[in-house]
Amino acid sequence: MNELEMKLEQTDDPCLDEMTLLLYAERQLDREAAQRVSLHTQTCTRCLTLLRALDRESRLLTRSMLEQDEPLPARLAEFHAQVKRNMQWIWGVIFGLAVLGVYELYANYITPVQTQLNDAGFTGSSLLSLVVFQGAFWKGWASMFGLFQFLAVTVMVGFGLFAFRRYLRRGSAMAAVVLSGLSVLLASASPATATEFRKSDTVTIKKGEVITGDMFLAGNHVRIEGEVDGDVFVFAEQLEVSGRISGDLIGFAQTERISGVVDGNVRTAANNVTITGSVERNVTAWNESLNLDSGGKIGRSLTVGGESVVLDGKIGRDLLGFFKNGTISGVIGGSVRARGEMLSISSGAEIDGKTKFDGHKEPSVSADAKLGSPVEFTKVEHKHEARTGDYYLWRLIFTGTFLAFGLVLAGLMPKFAAESVESAGQVGISFGLGVLVLFGVFIGSLIACATIIFFFVGISSLMLWLIMLMAAEVVVGGVVGQWILGRSDEFWKFFLRVALGVVIIRVITTIPFIGFWVALAVCFWGMGAISLTLYRRLQPAFAPNIPPAPMPPVGMSTPLPPSTTVGGI
Amino acid sequence: MSAPGKTEPIELIAQARTGDTQAWGDLYRQYAPAIFRFCRRAMPTREDAEDATMEIFMKLRDKLVQYDASRSFTAWLYKIAANHCWDMLRRKKARHDKDMDDITEVPLECPEPNQLEKLIEERTGEEVRRALDKLGLRARMALVMRYYSDMSYDEIADALGVRRQFVGVVLLRARHELRQALGESSALAVGGAR
Repeated sequence: MNELEMKLEQTDDPCLDEMTLLLYAERQLDREAAQRVSLHTQTCTRCLTLLRALDRESRLLTRSMLEQDEPLPARLAEFHAQVKRNMQWIWGVIFGLAVLGVYELYANYITPVQTQLNDAGFTGSSLLSLVVFQGAFWKGWASMFGLFQFLAVTVMVGFGLFAFRRYLRRGSAMAAVVLSGLSVLLASASPATATEFRKSDTVTIKKGEVITGDMFLAGNHVRIEGEVDGDVFVFAEQLEVSGRISGDLIGFAQTERISGVVDGNVRTAANNVTITGSVERNVTAWNESLNLDSGGKIGRSLTVGGESVVLDGKIGRDLLGFFKNGTISGVIGGSVRARGEMLSISSGAEIDGKTKFDGHKEPSVSADAKLGSPVEFTKVEHKHEARTGDYYLWRLIFTGTFLAFGLVLAGLMPKFAAESVESAGQVGISFGLGVLVLFGVFIGSLIACATIIFFFVGISSLMLWLIMLMAAEVVVGGVVGQWILGRSDEFWKFFLRVALGVVIIRVITTIPFIGFWVALAVCFWGMGAISLTLYRRLQPAFAPNIPPAPMPPVGMSTPLPPSTTVGGI
Repeated sequence: MSAPGKTEPIELIAQARTGDTQAWGDLYRQYAPAIFRFCRRAMPTREDAEDATMEIFMKLRDKLVQYDASRSFTAWLYKIAANHCWDMLRRKKARHDKDMDDITEVPLECPEPNQLEKLIEERTGEEVRRALDKLGLRARMALVMRYYSDMSYDEIADALGVRRQFVGVVLLRARHELRQALGESSALAVGGAR
């Protein structure tokens, strides 16, 4: 006798519970228990009514689900018709345009900055180029990469991603493994020929000792008194280089002192850095204080970020600095580009190129300092000063505008708005598509505008793009609101969610620095969601010449659930 | 689950199993609408349902040789469909249902029979479908498996990965959720103390 049967037997309650009646209605009770329920329902009106209600509920469910409310979509009309051939070229064009957009950005904005950084010392083995462009995959290919080759390869990669999008969207492990593998192949740096690891409390490369190959050194005190013919990577509390390193020195330390010679570059993040020796190439340092001693020398450029920077020694080329207090009393062979609170150029200083300083206070320049040109000073205003009064008022006005726009959008196109918010729930695909559309449609529209034939198409696309851009925040607001308050199809409840989401986004985008990136992400995400909705709507909804299903699902010949005609009904 | 009946195109299935593309096409056209509707009821979005339908038939084509002709083809097909849809939902990590512990511990209030009858009388198929959309994924999946494709408790338990004893509870909870969703629009209170 199972638990249910015992319950049936022992209960003092004259009425049966709903679970028992449901199991009975669905013929899930054994014969004995079913007989007892049957007997009971013949004498108990309440249970009989409930049993009937459950039965009718089952019928209602079956009938509702079997109703043919939606025709078979056209893409499912034939088994082999699953590929969306009619729309594929649009994706190709969009991706191609997006690539052009990225290239334009790269050529017009990133390259000049890169050149500047290059001048300032980010050359050769800078981390970015080391990781991205010096991978094993790129060896020997670099010379083949003209613009068109680059575009062709990128478009091919794009099409490859497009082809795998279904798997990517579903988070297929295989696709992830393949793509990760490719990424690793592309990005992996060339393997070092001979690498030595040393880890101890005190690591010392003694004077006279010569190490050939790269080195990884870790310890509280690391001293390099000998010679290393390769790159050196150091993690230490105190680092002293009094010997010679023929490659680069990449160091993370509390205190770092270079009194020897580094033939390559120095990249470092440390509290205090003192250079009394010689660095033949560039120095990049992020630290609290950097001191280039009068005897110290940097062959090329110095890029420095820190609180205090004192430069008494010689820098062969440019200085790019971000600091609170900077003092220059040595020789700089190139130009100076600095930003900070205060800059002092003292009497012994010699700067051959231009000097530009963006700071809070005007730099103090000694009359005896030898400058290639007068110091160009730009006073930096505090950001928070710009964020008082008018700024917040305008933020408020814009928030209201977005809310009104959301209200109009939800009012005029409630279904489209709801679908867009639903699409935004698919974060990955929305975001990816948004990146393409934000660049691709914009550039495509501009190109179209430049032609006579497609001028109006271009203008229309541009307007649509602009509306999508405006609506992006509303859509993302909707999805954020739904995350918090749950989903609702009712107009005002839906709008309430949109409003809540928009306000949250507006607040977050007010945060300095983070706000910009959040706003950008919202643009991508929202535009992608709208594009996805548009794309889905462009799909033909009807499958012509598809006959209705000749065979109903199982049980349709008897539309009720199979075991609902039970005792007394 | 129904036994293979006269309505099942046995000949067509047999031909499709031998690799006859024409037969496969016919088989697809016969069953695709019903499977799409199944997926549409089970999956959260239309796009997901379309994808699921296509993938189910891809799976079916690969598995067709394994089909045991002594069993109901339709039942077998629905089992594949149910497993696939549930897998998709699980992979998407979109299951919002409560744990089985909750199912066993949280008591359900027995509805007032007359009120329940009234609620059922007043509701149309469209309203029920809309209400289904509001259910938790497992609840909806269970209802679809039971009342659309008429799967047995054992098959539902197998597809959902729960013990057979819980299937009734899952279904009952799903019905309660549905009644609540149906009752929301009219503020009709269905629940009541026994």
